[in-house]
Amino acid sequence: MKILIAIGSKEFSKPTLRTGLKVAKAFRASTTIVDVGEKIGKFNAKIIGLAHERMESWEFDRPGVDVLEWAFQYLADNKFIEPNTIEAGFPKNTLVETGSNRAEVYLKGTVCKDVNLILRNGDIISELRDEVHTGRYDVTIIGGSQKRRMAHDLIQYIDSSIFIVNQLISAQTYRILLAVDDSSGTKKAIKYGARVAQAFDIGVDILTVSKNETFRDGYRNAAERAAKFMRRAGIDCKNMYKVGDPATVIKEESGNDHIIVMGASTRNPLAKFFKGSKPLKVMEECKCPILIVK
Amino acid sequence: MLVGAILYLLPTPSGLTLEGYRIIIIVITAFMMIITEPIPLPGVAIYILVMEVVLGIGSPEEISKSFMNDAVFFIMGSLMLAVAIVQQGWDKRIALGIIRLTGNKTKNIVFGFTAISAIMSSFIGEHTVAAIMLPIAMTLIKFTSEDGEKVHGLSAVLLFSIAYGCLIGSIGTPSGGGRNVIIMSYLQDINISISYLNWMILVYPLVLILIPIVSWILVKSFSPEYDRLDTGVRKLVVQVAKSPELTGRNTLAVFIFFLVFLGWVFLSETLGLGIIALAGVLMYLIAGFVKWEDISRNTHWGVIILFGSTISLGANIKGTGAAFWLANKVIYVFGSLMEMFPFFTDTIIVIMTTTMANVLSSSATVAVLGPITMNMGTDSLHLGMVTALASAFGFFTVVAAPACTIIYSSGLVTAKEFLKAGWRVGITCIVLLITYTNTYWMVFK
Repeated sequence: MKILIAIGSKEFSKPTLRTGLKVAKAFRASTTIVDVGEKIGKFNAKIIGLAHERMESWEFDRPGVDVLEWAFQYLADNKFIEPNTIEAGFPKNTLVETGSNRAEVYLKGTVCKDVNLILRNGDIISELRDEVHTGRYDVTIIGGSQKRRMAHDLIQYIDSSIFIVNQLISAQTYRILLAVDDSSGTKKAIKYGARVAQAFDIGVDILTVSKNETFRDGYRNAAERAAKFMRRAGIDCKNMYKVGDPATVIKEESGNDHIIVMGASTRNPLAKFFKGSKPLKVMEECKCPILIVK
Repeated sequence: MLVGAILYLLPTPSGLTLEGYRIIIIVITAFMMIITEPIPLPGVAIYILVMEVVLGIGSPEEISKSFMNDAVFFIMGSLMLAVAIVQQGWDKRIALGIIRLTGNKTKNIVFGFTAISAIMSSFIGEHTVAAIMLPIAMTLIKFTSEDGEKVHGLSAVLLFSIAYGCLIGSIGTPSGGGRNVIIMSYLQDINISISYLNWMILVYPLVLILIPIVSWILVKSFSPEYDRLDTGVRKLVVQVAKSPELTGRNTLAVFIFFLVFLGWVFLSETLGLGIIALAGVLMYLIAGFVKWEDISRNTHWGVIILFGSTISLGANIKGTGAAFWLANKVIYVFGSLMEMFPFFTDTIIVIMTTTMANVLSSSATVAVLGPITMNMGTDSLHLGMVTALASAFGFFTVVAAPACTIIYSSGLVTAKEFLKAGWRVGITCIVLLITYTNTYWMVFK
């Protein structure tokens, strides 16, 4: 299992980092923390690299290194990396350029397999897409964004499951709201839902939503299979059958105390563009954390 | 693509050739792509070249010839020279030189940064100068206070003095920017030649006027927190003193650039500015000052291809008669005002060019607008040079000029601050340019 945690600043990324590492620990996953710096005119990308090289000769860090340093400190404080790595301090000098917009440093992990810190510059969606594509990550964990376009692009273009942390409050007691139906994505969503429930040590509400009063066999089977899976894993669970528009019902049921887990849409990209999709509507309307499983 | 398809299906406007109409469609769609970036920039360049052939603007032979000229060589050479020069470590000496000249007073230091950036960028190229000057300013800021919030005004004033100094200095000589060379090549196409020294005689007084005015505006706009930078300057001098003395090789590196400069001044009319810049790169390679791998890694080849394609667009806008048609349209709209006020043509050109340069890139703007503006009156030299100079006024946005992007990449200034200082400096420069070209240049006529 490989997990990518996308952070953006010291001020706002702490919940994302905390949640991401909690999930990574549960999966004992190989973890990468990436900071994507602001996109700066492509006309001048190379000359900016040259300017940053000069800055380094005057002992200035390139922008973004301070964010990685902060992430390193968080890893050290929470003992996610080995003691000798912590003692040596943030290995700024081993931040290796691995592309025109990418630099990375490797750290030896403890509870996670390994931890890599990566610095990228550019458009956040295209940089994350590139990172996910080359690193073949299973889950990308990212903070929320108010922009509709951003939500759409994340679902459309990132080729991994996506955990959008949104407003995850550490003091709040959450339950998983696992949305199931007869789509092909549900099977994987059940597995991921169980692992996240174990990571956070919380129960699971299995929600099946039908647009009319008669629930198709496929829906009922999926709900029963999910409940069985949870019971076997020792996770407290309950089944809920609701009638209505799926996105609206999921929003109502999730409230502020659920982490939503659902499968990605199976619609083709063109249909998703014009008609939208269930996960996209849920992302737009719900403020709680959401894991969309691909 | 949809916009292009719709335009393609519309009838050709009267008075415009079919090829002229099609090149305008390519310009509109290509510029939309440059701004919105649905495909990488080199992809836009390839789109331009492919469409020019497919839409019958020219044969493959003609299009490939229009793609490459001395201006493209100059842009290529200038980007390569930047890699070679930036690696020479001249920044520490320059830092010492500025401090010795200006002393500890903040407003004098701002003037020093503006002046040195302007003078150097007239010859070396604004991107190189900004890359060299940025760490000097950052060091001075850091040594004044480690807390960025306490020196935000100082950070802004010093960084903008570099960026804006580079911009105003880049108009001073033909080698100050690719846009100047593009206009020179367009002028040569219509048998108008202007030498390196004549350009300087015509333009450099304006640079010297702008330096103190811009530095004054910047101090007033950002109100730096400290009137004197005693601690910062003292620590900077100590740090520079620790760096190694200039070696014979460092001096040789300066000498090579001096040779390039002499070549530009005395040989550019026969050898071309681009070839001389490339000769400089060759000398740096032979002397071992820079490795080809470094040049290759740090040169944005895609941008060079894009500039080549915009130059090809410019040549074909001219060749198909689209430039003449567009210029006539502008004259048709503003003709009476142009006749009534002699400076009105310059005003239109300056506003049009500055606006486009702030959204696109200055070189691409000049490559495409140049052939049009040069047809908006009888004095092509005057109109072309006004276009080149106005295209340097990229004060308003982060992406307008390499120097602006470089200071923004430090993370010490915000995009909003470009507008805060930019509108004051921009309007001042526009007014001064129009006044200057309609007074001082008249003496030479």
